[in-house]
Amino acid sequence: MDHSAHMGMSTHMGMSDMNHSTTMPPSHHHPTSSGSHESMMMPMTFYFGFKKVEVLFAGLVINTAGEMAGAFVAVFLLAMFYEGLKIAREGLLRKSQVSIRYNSMPVPGPNGTILMETHKTVGQQMLSFPHLLQTVLHIIQVVISYFLMLIFMTYNGYLCIAVAAGAGTGYFLFSWKKAVVVDITEHCH
Amino acid sequence: MAGMHFIFSDQAVLLFDFWSVHSPAGMAISVLVVLLLAVLYESLKVGKARLLLQALMSLSTPTRQQLIEETDQDSSSDSLPDSRTHLRWFMCHFGQSLLHVAQVVIGYFMMLAVMSYNTWIFFGVVLGSGVGYYLAYPLLNMT
Repeated sequence: MDHSAHMGMSTHMGMSDMNHSTTMPPSHHHPTSSGSHESMMMPMTFYFGFKKVEVLFAGLVINTAGEMAGAFVAVFLLAMFYEGLKIAREGLLRKSQVSIRYNSMPVPGPNGTILMETHKTVGQQMLSFPHLLQTVLHIIQVVISYFLMLIFMTYNGYLCIAVAAGAGTGYFLFSWKKAVVVDITEHCH
Repeated sequence: MAGMHFIFSDQAVLLFDFWSVHSPAGMAISVLVVLLLAVLYESLKVGKARLLLQALMSLSTPTRQQLIEETDQDSSSDSLPDSRTHLRWFMCHFGQSLLHVAQVVIGYFMMLAVMSYNTWIFFGVVLGSGVGYYLAYPLLNMT
């Protein structure tokens, strides 16, 4: 995932009407020396709980253990789907890169002879269907990766475990027979 | 919520309730920890790729036809019995999945640490990523 955490901050500003039982003092730039942060509106440390857990959208609030279990499964499947989508995009990209252009040009050789140098270009056309499909899938992938980041940002232990476990399971299942070409320079990949 | 801009401060609470920093020495140690975390993150990325390469070079499985590039000892003999090969591939892939989980978790931890908006921590993450990349990526091409 190549995004910055700051993108998620703007979404949290819209959640300022969360219904929390603790009163919220005006936010200070420098925390008090007691070091206690329980009075902060948004949790900044990991916790395990299932009461009044707001997830992503205004109406999605978890209040019972049953709802938390459902949310766990949903987040797990979302993370698995994200990994599968990544693998699927890689596969589609490889399959669609069949248009190879060979471009031969004469170049001067060492002894005054003329050599033919051949350049090979692999690529997609911009308006071709595979490229459009890749773009749509890319948008979906970016949105889901941001959702997963925001879910992790709730600092709820259960949901974070669901994200990690889903990512691991998805990776395990979908890249079973993956090709070697791995783009490990992709951040958070 | 904490102020939405970077500050220089010796006070922070990072990730867990017990990780509260209130002194310059504590902050220095925290920056070091975060730096090492970032180094670990970069190493995990390289580790996953190396594990894959290692498995490919030591196993001759049908999946190799789909695989490209550097792995190049062309031993085409299928001398290993299938079940043993599959088990080894399974173990390697399981190990890779564990590394992947660790990578995802550490990546999120680093994101949350930067979210504390403490400039020292941010420097630690950035520097750690640089050092980690510098140390780990050459190992990718080593055989």
